[in-house]
Amino acid sequence: MSTLQQSPRPEDPGADSTGAAAGGRGADEPDMDRIIYRETHSSRAVMATIAAVVVVALAAYGLLEAAVHAIGQPAWLIEPQVAAQRIVALPAGISPLLLGVIGAVLAMLGLVFFLHGVLPGHRARHVLARGRGGAGPAVVVDDEVIASSLARRARLAANVTPEQVMVVVSQRQVQVNVRPTSGVPVHGDRVRDAVKAELGDMGLEPAPEVRINVAPSGVIGA
Amino acid sequence: MNSTPSVLNRILITVLGLKLLAVGVLLMLLASVPAVAAWWHSWSAGVWNTVNGAFNATRFPGRSESWLWILVALALLVLIVLMVAWIAQQGKGRSNLLAAEYDPGSVPGDVRIGGGVAEQALKHALAGRPDLAGATVVTYDIKGFPALKVRLQPRQGVAPHLLAAEVAGLVKALEAVVGRRIPVLIHIGAGARTRFSRAERVR
Repeated sequence: MSTLQQSPRPEDPGADSTGAAAGGRGADEPDMDRIIYRETHSSRAVMATIAAVVVVALAAYGLLEAAVHAIGQPAWLIEPQVAAQRIVALPAGISPLLLGVIGAVLAMLGLVFFLHGVLPGHRARHVLARGRGGAGPAVVVDDEVIASSLARRARLAANVTPEQVMVVVSQRQVQVNVRPTSGVPVHGDRVRDAVKAELGDMGLEPAPEVRINVAPSGVIGA
Repeated sequence: MNSTPSVLNRILITVLGLKLLAVGVLLMLLASVPAVAAWWHSWSAGVWNTVNGAFNATRFPGRSESWLWILVALALLVLIVLMVAWIAQQGKGRSNLLAAEYDPGSVPGDVRIGGGVAEQALKHALAGRPDLAGATVVTYDIKGFPALKVRLQPRQGVAPHLLAAEVAGLVKALEAVVGRRIPVLIHIGAGARTRFSRAERVR
């Protein structure tokens, strides 16, 4: 707190920084678009750690065998020359089925790593419109939070209990499933208007389209 | 928000994936296609002869071991160190400094405001809210600039844009106290705490 008390003198720098903010992205501030991109896309940290651990384990075994060989001791698991000769003679010396299965497993692992590296890696998140001319803080929202907010709004519009509404939010689509109470009709248009109004207030980016799905059968005693 | 090297991650994961994929496909072809087996015999025997020749040519004088093994061991050691360095890069970027500026007043020296000021102030301001199941505030260092990440866990049914607007007001007040603009990212997320807690019914 002692550092905080030194600062009530910032009329000059304060005016300066708001001026820079109004003029757009100054040089004294990180690129918000980049931050938002990093926040809505996976950094693949988990996959990278797994890959590094795999490589370290293989390299550690190789290091052990190489060091043992360099000082002229007998090999730990397999002599490198013997291993190489077996690999050269490969289709022989092992059942084709086992070889094929090992190959399939390796190829599957490789495919998983490859797809994690190549696919865009969207996270289930949306960006909210930045308040008041891009001056406010950047806001990133999990799709689950959006869904529960929309479900609340749809539930109030349809006048049903929370269990009768299910909302699924994906990158470009919002699907609202409503099960009406038996004997009480639900107006799909009213629900659609309420959900659209809520989405318009949020200003999601990318903007999803709304689909309302009112179930033909109702729930009894809700 | 942190400085995880995402581009490097993508490249290295892709390279490793391609290698594993190639080896796996080769093994499957060896097991199933005889023509591939014949090609593999001729190609790999040639490679093995070259490698064997290199090992034979580099023996220690008077001993049967090759000093190439030491080179191999060193190369693998370097590879392990590189991999550990790569792991250490994941999730870095926390910082402790919110603002550091020259103070033009009569006292010589700089003014430094720690990240704890913003973290404690915002956390305290958010602590009593009934619509939040949790809130964390972390200071990050992004390419030399301090930035705040506010992670909020609202209860079910809370409208995220209204919550964001209220937190933006808090951030504005904090900026007025600190005396400079702070880049802020608000992440409104869901977790186990929000999923199994009661819904917010009264606002």
